[in-house]
Amino acid sequence: MSTPARRRLMRDFKRLQEDPPAGVSGAPTDNNIMVWNAVIFGPHDTPFEDGTFKLTIEFTEEYPNKPPTVRFVSKMFHPNVYADGSICLDILQNRWSPTYDVSAILTSIQSLLHDPNPNSPANNEAAQLYRENRREYEKKVAAIVQESWNDDEDDDDEEEGEKS
Amino acid sequence: MLLDQFNFHYISGWTAVASWRWIANDENCGICRMPFDGCCPDCKLPGDDCPLVWGQCSHCFHIHCIVKWLNSQQVHQLCPMCRQEWKFKE
Ligand SMILES: [Zn+2]
Ligand SMILES: [Zn+2]
Ligand SMILES: [Zn+2]
Repeated sequence: MSTPARRRLMRDFKRLQEDPPAGVSGAPTDNNIMVWNAVIFGPHDTPFEDGTFKLTIEFTEEYPNKPPTVRFVSKMFHPNVYADGSICLDILQNRWSPTYDVSAILTSIQSLLHDPNPNSPANNEAAQLYRENRREYEKKVAAIVQESWNDDEDDDDEEEGEKS
Repeated sequence: MLLDQFNFHYISGWTAVASWRWIANDENCGICRMPFDGCCPDCKLPGDDCPLVWGQCSHCFHIHCIVKWLNSQQVHQLCPMCRQEWKFKE
């Protein structure tokens, strides 16, 4: 079934494939174009560097007049990300514009990793450390960067059978 | 504030986005992304009555696309491209 929202999402996907922005990727799930999986690679020169952070994006039939719901699935430690992975970002809420597409959403989240906004904290501990104890902040971020790699290794727990 | 940073990265850092803006402005409706020489996704055939309209800010959309957006806005009715108050160009 083709609706305006679905057709727009097909165009978003085409654009993402033909003109992929650096450091992000995304694609609809196999059986539902209204739900996407995405990955944001931690930007260079930030404590998030080398992290591979997974997200889900859920659209409604009102897209693009209403923004999608975007959440980190990978564990995140960031002043503007809530404990459940949802993101406090103005363009996903009151400054949404129907001219944004999936590329725009992902690159704006990537730039949020670059430039946290400690004035609208979603994670008070992260916001406080970001302001007052940058070294401790970076340590906590380094821990979730490591965890982001472990997400990919669900299948490496085979037993070696070395007990002789 | 975040949006300004976003635009900054967007425009200065990644050509992908410069081309997005250009496409959105000149050949495709910025809302539905369909070409201006076709109709919006709510209309089936190019022969359907789906004209283009301009705002006073000079941004252009399919009439159905911009009206749907304006109707979804409770408080301010802003142009999706430049965020100025939307007024139809006479
Ligand atoms: Zn349109
Ligand atoms: Zn139309
Ligand atoms: Zn405008």
